Amino acid sequence: MWFEDIQIGGKRDLGTYVFTEDEIIAFARKYDPQIFHIDREAARASMFGGLVASGWHTAAVWMKLAIAERERAKAAGHTFARSGVSPGFEDMRWIRPVRPGVTYRFSSETVEKVELKSRTDIGLVKSLNEARDENGELVFSFIGKGFVQRRPAT
Amino acid sequence: MSNDLLHFEDFTPGRKFFGGPCRITKDDIIAFAREFDPQPHHLDEEAGKRSMLGSLSASGWHVSAIAMRLFAESVILRTANNGGPGVEDGRWMKPVRPDDVLMLETEVAAARPSASRPEIGLVKFVWRLFNQKGQVAEFVVTTMPTRRGA
Repeated sequence: MWFEDIQIGGKRDLGTYVFTEDEIIAFARKYDPQIFHIDREAARASMFGGLVASGWHTAAVWMKLAIAERERAKAAGHTFARSGVSPGFEDMRWIRPVRPGVTYRFSSETVEKVELKSRTDIGLVKSLNEARDENGELVFSFIGKGFVQRRPAT
Repeated sequence: MSNDLLHFEDFTPGRKFFGGPCRITKDDIIAFAREFDPQPHHLDEEAGKRSMLGSLSASGWHVSAIAMRLFAESVILRTANNGGPGVEDGRWMKPVRPDDVLMLETEVAAARPSASRPEIGLVKFVWRLFNQKGQVAEFVVTTMPTRRGA
């Protein structure tokens, strides 16, 4: 499967995730040591009213679920374009606090394909990625970017 | 609140803050990738050599998390801030490889009072995460609401 075969649309359900307090604290102690991410008591007195996950933790969990979904699809016989390298992301929004014990559902949808002037062997695919809470409220979103190989000229 | 904290008025455009250095090891790269981004080029040296990047490299999310750590240490933990609503732009410009030494330069790109909330101002930061060769490995633009001083 190549860049040319990828279609716009088709939202993929990446499954659900529940953050525990311990993993929120462990991630944040390493990477985002703000009190509302690492200290249960201080978090209660903060504007969030309780412990919340680092926004970067939410992004990393999106990646974890996206890889797992891809592996499941591969095991089910779906073919994927050779990719895996990303130049970055845009418009990442931490819309609502992500809290421990809540079930969040993650998704990904291809929204744009860009042909590159500088490279004829790869194209850029953009995806709209989201997480929603148990009420279907959007809590997290971003535009992901990935390079995908183009069909070789025959 | 301590008077030592930085407030909106302290973030004049052009002002720079520096975080790090932080050395990333092969074990760090693999441990992060196992948990969050288990793609072969983040887990295995041989697979890394065969990848587009030509060697084992850190997950971009790992690089972002390290930049966040350095931003927290050099700016946020010294600032009267109200959390962050997101990131406008994040670019992984150079692969981050085992034993790279990373430093974060944060520059104030713009600062404006909030139209709706007189007690805060919005500070737009640009992060440049440098490696030991002086190359920018990651570039980030993020805006953070910051409390105004008395």
